[in-house]
Amino acid sequence: MELQLGLALPPPPLIPIETFHLNSYGNYETREALGSNALSWPLLKLGPADNDINNIHHHNSSSSSSSSGGGAGCKKRSFDEAPFFDEKRNVPKTLHLLLWTNQPNDEDDDPSNVLHENSSSAIFKNDGEGLVGWPPVKTWRKKVHHQIPNGGAENNRLPAVENGIGGRASKSTYVKVKMEGVPIARKIDLSVHHSFEGLTNTLMRMFGISDGNRKIFKLTYQDREGDWLLAEDVPWRTFIRSLKCLKLIRSRG
Amino acid sequence: MVCKSWYEIERWCRRKVFVGNCYAVSPKMVIRRFPEFRSIELKGKPHFADFNLIRLKRMVVTDESLELIAKSFKNFKVLVLSSCEGFSTDGLAVIAASCKNLKELDLRDCEVDDLSAHWLSHFPETYTSLVSLNISCLGSDEASFSALERLVGRCTNLKTLQLNRAVPLDKIANILRHAPQLVEFGTGTYTADVRPDVYSDLAGVFSSCKELKSLSGFWDVVPDYLPAIYPVCSKLTSLNLSYATIQSPDLIKLVSHCPNLQRLLVLDYIEDSGLEVLASSCKDLQELRVFPSDPFGAEPNVSLTEQGLVAVSLGCPKLQSVLYFCRRMSNEALVTIARNRPNFTRFRLCIIEPKTADYLTLEPLDVGFGAIVQYCKDLKRLSLSGLLTDRVFEYIGTYAKKLEMLSVAFAGDSDLGLHHVLSGCESLRKLEIRDCPFGDKALLANAAKLETMRSLWMSSCAVSFAACKLLGQKMPRLNVEVIDERGPPDSRPENCPVDKLYIYRSIAGPRFDMPPFVWTMDEDSGLRL
Repeated sequence: MELQLGLALPPPPLIPIETFHLNSYGNYETREALGSNALSWPLLKLGPADNDINNIHHHNSSSSSSSSGGGAGCKKRSFDEAPFFDEKRNVPKTLHLLLWTNQPNDEDDDPSNVLHENSSSAIFKNDGEGLVGWPPVKTWRKKVHHQIPNGGAENNRLPAVENGIGGRASKSTYVKVKMEGVPIARKIDLSVHHSFEGLTNTLMRMFGISDGNRKIFKLTYQDREGDWLLAEDVPWRTFIRSLKCLKLIRSRG
Repeated sequence: MVCKSWYEIERWCRRKVFVGNCYAVSPKMVIRRFPEFRSIELKGKPHFADFNLIRLKRMVVTDESLELIAKSFKNFKVLVLSSCEGFSTDGLAVIAASCKNLKELDLRDCEVDDLSAHWLSHFPETYTSLVSLNISCLGSDEASFSALERLVGRCTNLKTLQLNRAVPLDKIANILRHAPQLVEFGTGTYTADVRPDVYSDLAGVFSSCKELKSLSGFWDVVPDYLPAIYPVCSKLTSLNLSYATIQSPDLIKLVSHCPNLQRLLVLDYIEDSGLEVLASSCKDLQELRVFPSDPFGAEPNVSLTEQGLVAVSLGCPKLQSVLYFCRRMSNEALVTIARNRPNFTRFRLCIIEPKTADYLTLEPLDVGFGAIVQYCKDLKRLSLSGLLTDRVFEYIGTYAKKLEMLSVAFAGDSDLGLHHVLSGCESLRKLEIRDCPFGDKALLANAAKLETMRSLWMSSCAVSFAACKLLGQKMPRLNVEVIDERGPPDSRPENCPVDKLYIYRSIAGPRFDMPPFVWTMDEDSGLRL
């Protein structure tokens, strides 16, 4: 049975909802409305214990009722009461792992450990240089700041070269790849590869070379001096630093 | 859905096509549907990709593609590439040489392989149709100024010209002399040895630009040369000084000359004092963006606080769009801003240090942002920062009914937060989340919502691989992409959170140009793995 999906507000959820924590908020209709009194701070009428969401319904029940809260309340009400998208459908076994419980923070067995590990490591992913991608300032803006005449960043470290490819004149990590016998060259992003295997896999896919035919081709590259060399003859880092463009040639004999 | 006649009429008449997510539809489909289109705007990467969160390049436009465009569409008029990469000036050369009717070439925020500036010479001598050229992203060291000058000289309809940093200050006068009709101009580097002749040349040529409404560029500004633009300041409606590393006094002087300013982009060197002057001088201000001069510094290097934003919000009655980087904020300031400026449509606040609390009360900023969504009923875009609990998402879900795009980082306590947003924000199109404790429950409970949105990005959250598989399986009209550089997600336990998740609706099916660390969860994923 297909899901009833439309472009309207979300219909019944993908997984069965047993109880939903929001219901412990109590009656949505009592939520404070904005009202015409623009000078008051309706949101701030909630007291100091506000940050504990379990307490919110206590405060709400003492405030005047209004209709504007009803919209949200009605939606959430129906959310809970709505039938599953197909009551007769057999719920696959895997869904049992993902049922809502009373406590949204109730982690299943292991994930909490995994999560903590990952979240702490996520924060210092950049090898101690700070958060990756934070603050959300675009690359070329980072470069501006290193030229501040006075009072700016004291360390003159260069903008992090994202991919470890040093010494490239242009900031692009794309190189041309040609295949022998194919007139049109392609381009490949070197920054996403870290080994010959990965690179070769991508190239094979790009040129539609089947696994069986892989052995026919050899990867060569042209270095800065203009010489053509076999890629696998040098270590990866040397290859990355000195290559200008790539060519797949048919190996002879 | 419309009736067939309308569909056909629209199809044959549509000249402009905008594709907000290039993977949502295939080129074949666009071409088939709109055979007469003359202008196409393509967007690729999810917004968070701008900030090094992924190495994956999602919108690669190769030189070959540009060549294909050039050769296939002889009458091509407008090419706007937004945040794209993968092409070089070679590709641009082919466009220049082939597209005789090209009116607009806009490479905003692109990363272009700058092989040579001589691509400009590929515009034939007979080519005169250029109306808009934005090459501000190009780097090239060698620049073909004479080709540029000649191009500008013969394109008498040129209205927008945004140069790149490589164009030196003393060349600008020559270029502007050829184009006094310009409406938008972006300088190159705005630095030179201070010489009176260069200065007076520059000031003179700016004086002759009677139509100039917008200025940008200003890399490496030498303050002595700034007064050269005073002749045009009174007419300026847009000023982009976000690369201008000049201090507050110079910025204040400049801004005081621009009473008709509607749009200002500036570095935080402007400081609170400068923003106060802005608030009193520029009553027509609609959009303000304040960028950090030292985003990675631990301590503030300038005196820019929430006070500056409050001043502008109070003083500028038409202010509706703000992007503001600062280091401290208070609920009180946010509530004041919200109450006084309910006409905000875009409110993006970035408090530089994650999880920074209200500096006055040490509380979360839930109530402050809550006020923003409560008072600003037409809010379409919101970016949150600072210390935030699930509470702020409850406010957002309750009040932000017109919200189309929401950016969240280091916020929330549980799935409840995400649930509030997905179930409450009726107009939501794009949601991007990083480093929040949102997991499977809220996502799966609101799976259908995802089909009503353009895309959802989640990185460093708590969504498990199992949930991703389930989504991919159950929602055939969504592309569920797991991005994880640790290796295949099935090499780890199913309940292990994925690193990055990008979900978008698509009628083109899964894409096939992914690098090795992106996996599409499709209908088979449940069976296969």
